[in-house]
Amino acid sequence: MITEPLPPMRYQEDGNVHLDFHGAVNTTIDFIVARYGVGVLHEIFARVGKDVYRDLHQHLADNDPNEMARHWKHFFDREGADYDIAVGDDEIVLTVRRCTAYHHVAKIAPSVSPHFCDQTTKTNEAIAEGTPFAITTEITGPGACRQVIRRRA
Amino acid sequence: MIPSDHFTRFYNEVFKYIETLGQHELDLYWLEISKNQERHILDLIQTKGFEGMHEYWSVIKDEENCELDLMVDENHLELQMHVCPSLTKAMDNDAEPMKRYCDHCAGWIGPIMDKTGYHLVYDMISRTEPRCVMKIFKDPALAREAEKSAQLLANWPGKQAV
Repeated sequence: MITEPLPPMRYQEDGNVHLDFHGAVNTTIDFIVARYGVGVLHEIFARVGKDVYRDLHQHLADNDPNEMARHWKHFFDREGADYDIAVGDDEIVLTVRRCTAYHHVAKIAPSVSPHFCDQTTKTNEAIAEGTPFAITTEITGPGACRQVIRRRA
Repeated sequence: MIPSDHFTRFYNEVFKYIETLGQHELDLYWLEISKNQERHILDLIQTKGFEGMHEYWSVIKDEENCELDLMVDENHLELQMHVCPSLTKAMDNDAEPMKRYCDHCAGWIGPIMDKTGYHLVYDMISRTEPRCVMKIFKDPALAREAEKSAQLLANWPGKQAV
């Protein structure tokens, strides 16, 4: 059987990674929460999910959750995270045992924002909003989480 | 996790939101980012001057995959950005780019140069082309002279005439 190669992802990347950007995300999160409130932070992550990741949203809307798993694999590999992805009949589960972003911030910043993982939770929710799927994020420890794509009931 | 590869697109969303609140708020945000960046560059500038700046931007060139040339002599540091990955990604984006996206760069670098006694001349050239020229001088007279040839001179919070 000949399998067609997958087309490139919308934001596929190569080259080096600049992990210090995660420190700027942490600073930004603290700034926004302190100055404008957590609701504004969540609104911005919702825009990231809906607008920046419009292509991922569209794949979910088109009944294709695999593009999200492909996105996870591509970027968690690039950042050298400790994770695995289990693709089942009813759900796709991403288990992150060591999040590179969280641990890099813990190394370079005075503290990791208590809202740092909202970038994952809220962006995931927005990507899935209005599609047949939900993406839930459970924080299981410092720099560890479980993200699940599951068809809505 | 928003991948570090996608930071600039997140940054773009933050800029767009804060811009709706006014320039003062945007200035405060850039000052906060500037303070964050001090962790990476301030000691290099204070201990090694232009060579320390060269060291910092050499790492950026590598890690951020920039097409740029860096030059240092006894009077100044010059960075010629030929292809800026930050603006390139902000524009290659399913979300709308902020019109003044380029302004953030001088927005965080300028305050650090003011603080360390250097003079920044940041020529954005155009806000829709991913290229720019940054020059940093110790002598304010040289900075003033360099400003004359800039096409689109950037401003930053607290900028004072050199």
